[in-house]
Amino acid sequence: MNQGGTADTLTTVEINSLEKYPVVDPSQAPSTSYYAPSHSAPISWSTHGGNNYPRENGIVSSSSYHQVQQVEIASRTVQDGLNATPAASTLTSGAANPPQDYSSYSTYQNTDPYGYGNTGYATYYNGYQQQASQPYQPPVGAYQNSGAPYQPLSSFQNTGSYAGSASYPSTYYNPADYQTSGGYQSGVYSNHSNYWQEGQYTTYSNHQYPNYPQDSSTLYSSTTSAASSQYAQHYKQWADYYNQTQTEVSCAPGTENVSVSGASSLSCPIPGVTGGYPASNSQAPAPYTPSWRPDSSSSELPMAQPGTANGSVHDGYWMPGPAAVQNQNLNPMQQHVQTPLGTSSTRESFQNQQQSSGPQGHNSTYTASHQVPQSYPSSLQTVSQTAPQLDSRRVSNKLQIPTNPRIASNLGLGLSKVDKDISGSNAASKPAYISVSLTKPNEKVPSEDAAAESILKPGMFPKSLCGYVERALARCKGDAQMAASQAVMKEIITKATADGSLHTKDWDTEPLFALPNADTASREDVLFSTPTSSLPKSRRSPSRRSKSRWEPVSEEKVADKPVAAAAEPVKYGFWNKQFTGGKVENKVVHWSNTKFSLSDQKSSNKNSLRPSKRQRLVDGPSAADNGDASSESDKEQTLTAYYSAAVALADSPEERKRRESRSKRFDKGHGNRQNNHFKQKSAGAGNLYTRRASALVLSKNFVDSGTQAVEDIDWDALVVKGTSQEIEKRYLRLTSAPDPATVRPEETLEKALLMVQNSEKNYLYKCDQLKSIRQDLTVQHIRNELTVKVYETHARLAIEVGDLPEYNQCQSQLKTLYAEGIRGCHLEFASYNLLCIILHSNKNRDLLCAMSRLSAEARKDDAVKHALAVRAAVTSGNYVLFFRLYKTAPNLNTLLMDLYVEKMRYTAVKCLTRSHRPTVPVAYISQVLGFTSTFPTTEASDGKERDGVEECAEWLKAHGASLTEDNSGEMLLDTKLSMSNLFMPEPEDAVSHGDANLAVDDFWARNLESSIK
Amino acid sequence: MSGGYMSMGEAHRRILEYLNRFSDAVSSQDGKSLSRLLSISSDSHHLLSLADALNTFQDANRLIRQSDEYSQYADILLPVFRAFQSYRLRNLVESYQAFEKAANAFIQEFRNWESAWALEALYVLTFEIRILAERADRELASNGKTPEKLKGAGSLLMKVFSTLAGKGPKRVGALHVTCQLFKIYFKLGTVHLCRSVIRSIETARIFDFEEFPVRDKVTYMYYTGRLEVYNENFPAADQKLSYALTHCDLRKEANLRMILKYLIPVKLSIGILPKALLLENYNLNEYSNIVLALKRGDLRLLRHALLEHEDRFLRSGVYLVLEKLELQVYQRLLKKIHIIQKQKDPSKAHQIKLEIIVKAMKWLEIDMDVDEVECIMSILIYKNLVKGYFAHKSKVVVLSKQDPFPKLNGKPISS
Repeated sequence: MNQGGTADTLTTVEINSLEKYPVVDPSQAPSTSYYAPSHSAPISWSTHGGNNYPRENGIVSSSSYHQVQQVEIASRTVQDGLNATPAASTLTSGAANPPQDYSSYSTYQNTDPYGYGNTGYATYYNGYQQQASQPYQPPVGAYQNSGAPYQPLSSFQNTGSYAGSASYPSTYYNPADYQTSGGYQSGVYSNHSNYWQEGQYTTYSNHQYPNYPQDSSTLYSSTTSAASSQYAQHYKQWADYYNQTQTEVSCAPGTENVSVSGASSLSCPIPGVTGGYPASNSQAPAPYTPSWRPDSSSSELPMAQPGTANGSVHDGYWMPGPAAVQNQNLNPMQQHVQTPLGTSSTRESFQNQQQSSGPQGHNSTYTASHQVPQSYPSSLQTVSQTAPQLDSRRVSNKLQIPTNPRIASNLGLGLSKVDKDISGSNAASKPAYISVSLTKPNEKVPSEDAAAESILKPGMFPKSLCGYVERALARCKGDAQMAASQAVMKEIITKATADGSLHTKDWDTEPLFALPNADTASREDVLFSTPTSSLPKSRRSPSRRSKSRWEPVSEEKVADKPVAAAAEPVKYGFWNKQFTGGKVENKVVHWSNTKFSLSDQKSSNKNSLRPSKRQRLVDGPSAADNGDASSESDKEQTLTAYYSAAVALADSPEERKRRESRSKRFDKGHGNRQNNHFKQKSAGAGNLYTRRASALVLSKNFVDSGTQAVEDIDWDALVVKGTSQEIEKRYLRLTSAPDPATVRPEETLEKALLMVQNSEKNYLYKCDQLKSIRQDLTVQHIRNELTVKVYETHARLAIEVGDLPEYNQCQSQLKTLYAEGIRGCHLEFASYNLLCIILHSNKNRDLLCAMSRLSAEARKDDAVKHALAVRAAVTSGNYVLFFRLYKTAPNLNTLLMDLYVEKMRYTAVKCLTRSHRPTVPVAYISQVLGFTSTFPTTEASDGKERDGVEECAEWLKAHGASLTEDNSGEMLLDTKLSMSNLFMPEPEDAVSHGDANLAVDDFWARNLESSIK
Repeated sequence: MSGGYMSMGEAHRRILEYLNRFSDAVSSQDGKSLSRLLSISSDSHHLLSLADALNTFQDANRLIRQSDEYSQYADILLPVFRAFQSYRLRNLVESYQAFEKAANAFIQEFRNWESAWALEALYVLTFEIRILAERADRELASNGKTPEKLKGAGSLLMKVFSTLAGKGPKRVGALHVTCQLFKIYFKLGTVHLCRSVIRSIETARIFDFEEFPVRDKVTYMYYTGRLEVYNENFPAADQKLSYALTHCDLRKEANLRMILKYLIPVKLSIGILPKALLLENYNLNEYSNIVLALKRGDLRLLRHALLEHEDRFLRSGVYLVLEKLELQVYQRLLKKIHIIQKQKDPSKAHQIKLEIIVKAMKWLEIDMDVDEVECIMSILIYKNLVKGYFAHKSKVVVLSKQDPFPKLNGKPISS
């Protein structure tokens, strides 16, 4: 229904009212579409697809787009102020999105469930999200859910109907706190979308539809699940991702527990959000959603905080300059959300494999959406659009990765793994981590703007109109006035659209309507005038994130993929009663069938390349600032001022206000946490919720600040006390607040360590187990002798198999642990450290540093003395000494030296051939270079010695030496002949990562084994 | 408190006086007086009493904002005042933070000034930033917090550098900032960060190295020379440090000594020994035994000298360089044996039996067996410190009849 003609009309109403654009209408349509059966949904989707492109375009088209955004922002601010009364806010915002959103709001929620029911997807989503109330809706719901986070995206993508959808999400959000973001996106997008629709929506629509469902479903499912399940079940895993979305819900209630329950039961806020989103999200969502989501997330954040805080927070966010920035920042969050959903990961995997599994479906959808954008770009702002899309894709991929781990823990690790594997092209980006993705979107936006400006068709959204709106808003002082002005403008524009004078009217000369109120116009002006400036800021923060040292998810998970995919539904079912595993699977199948034809990876790749280049260009100056940005707000301000012309915004009152509100939020968040703790004591089940909620709140705060990377999160605030009694636990990188139910307390960890130490299994297994132990220790802030023991055990194991990277991690941890005065074998590890430096990194500075740190007591230790002697032997090239030390090495020093033996032998032989004439007996070489023991004492060792000589002869030959025999049959090295022929052969068992033990075969075998189990 | 109690009026007067001087200095483009107004750590009487005045008269901000003349520099003056106040109250972290803010504002302003008149003030600013950051870090560390201010100062100076590193009259200041950056990086132990700055100095065409002020050139050469010592690139280190030495003001003995501390090990490792007088004059006695060991071929003395000053050498980073002198000591020892053999029996002088060397080592109380000595001989020949070959069967070093012990003469030991 919605999607079809009705959708258009409806959308027009909402959107139009806001912006008077045809596009606007679509937004309304989305809402209707939700209500409408799934069939109708497809239609809408197709339009959405068109819209999606438009979204990109919209973004791209900087001039019109920006303006719109600004307006939206303004409206958002208004909304913020109005938070208490979402409906009111919508009305006020009227001019832009707000009104639309709000109006749609109530209806939407209701409709959403229906929408879900219609589509097969619903199952998917249902399971995740809603849990109870809207199982049928799932498809729709899923869409919708995702929509909430995605709203912005949706609006972009779905220019036509989707624009409407976008607005929906916003409406949904509005109730919670999303309002502002929603308003934003929808308004801006809707404009664009309209244009697009006119041009190419119809064509695209078909393609997109399949995609949409998939995308949305994936997204939605994740989001929804987050909403419903998150609270109760997935706190940890989902927490981060969901935090944004969920936070809204939880926050809104004020108390986490209450809010959560309320949200789930009501399903209104969540469903509504999701419903609205689905449409928009389904297509473009992947790429776009991330960027837009930020907005929603930002709005969410406020929500998370107490109601009172919301208003202020919003204001801060929306502050002129900041608003744009915030959105960008938020994007990361949104992305996270998506990732949690698993859709992103699944998307990738799906695309690659197109398997039956739901995740695949998602992937395919993504590609589809991507493709679409590409095609669109050609007509409108193709270049810019595609670039953004690509970026978004990347982002989504990347994001997915991080999330996957979490998801994996709860849902199915397999999915995440799959993503990694499947991603192929994406794979590289995935490891990059969330931060990278975030930055990209932001960066893209600016580039898009530039492109958009050039490309913008006049017809789309008359520039003059934008100018008109801008002028009108510029006069406004204060949010209230803004809102009022917007309402007036909305009317004007609607009217113009209705009588067709929208494009014919000379907006430049059109007299401004009477100003409703009078306040200080400065804010809005700043906002409007400096949209671009704000963008740079946001970009910066992402770029910083990209530098984050988070590792890609461990590869081990890959094996689990299939399992995980299957397992997911089940798990969900566990989490949410409402979930139906069977349904989910069905849905997945649907998706895979429908979608996946559209794999335009190639094109997407190209696009992706472009954006990155652009980003660089654009970022150039600003990127440098990023580093400083986080350090201090003051500093940040100054820096920003430096780099961007827009700098002025940084110090603007709005900025300050924003900061204040941010800090307020923090306070509240802490307060909530404390409350939660109390509750935890009393209620067992409640505990998790509260905890998560508090974690969510915290994470929201982080999201707001935008500049903060995930690793900047104050994990101290998230210290948990584990309750899990599982001795065996797989390692999953934590991407959200830890769940006490899966964290093991110290006693259990001790048992786990013992188990690992006595385990017969291979290193990969042990490494995995130890990492999970380390993780549990870290999240519980356990830093004692057990911690040292775990790291020491792991370091020793790593040395034994030559896994230097892992060893280095342990060593650096041990260094700080020892420095804290925790006892352990610090001398042993001091010697390892020395050996490592001398034998592997061989940087003089490091060596000097390590040596000068050795205490007098340490120098007396045998192991340290040995290491120092080895160092001396290596620096002087004294191979005789080296191999004597090799034979007498204490602890695991031998194993570390092992890695240097080949090099030492080679230089020794080079030296021998150069200095000795005419020959050197092989027996002597064998003895000096450690092939045979230096002092054969017993007869029994004769045999061994002979073997050693044989081995030495083989080795020499392998390295190009010429051997001869003398009269008595003794083997000799002909030094003169050998001198110029020596070479270092390529090791036969060479593996790219340097350790045959870690070969891929083994890895796969292990994973298959475990997955079969 | 230098002034003891200060009346409100007096405080007001002093603050106004400072503001006047500041705006005078800027309007007359007097870099020298401006720099005096910013040198917070100089503990000059004027600035201390200003700080007292600020602590007495709390509403200095209003004074600045009141007048257009001052308010245009409010971004600089407000934080500078806060820095003075905190400095006076010995709250160095806060002082640094405020000063950093002032510096940022100053740089902004500096960019707008066409000429380079304020370079001197900028120098003072960068210096103060570094000093304050170091002190703030000490304060942080003593409170058990992570010292991070110096790092922040590093990135701030990097920004200053990029302000200067362009065409125009300001570029002559780039090297000064570079040197301040070096000081920070060496202190932080993040010398790898020097590389990018060095690259831009050495490859950018806008910089003619000789154009820079001499003192900056000397400092720059000193630090880059030290970096070359880390890399064991001795010829380059020799060239840079020698440049620094020859251009350094002879009255700056401490600086000369610092240069020599690195130059001497570098020269030693390319076979050039300093005169005893030099070591004495510059109080570099830790090297005297090493030089003596090289002259005598006394391995024991070398090892002893290294052990004695191990900490110092490790800290300055020359330990590994000095340790590598061992080979030269072996060479010297072998040469001595060769000379003695020649006196006894010239016909067999070019054949040195391994057991004789082992005996000599024993005599030096160094425990080495035949295999190890053979290894050392092998290395000596391999590294071209000894010309000849080793006959394994008869355990004899056969020396070349022509120049068996080639001198390094300024060339590094080949590897």
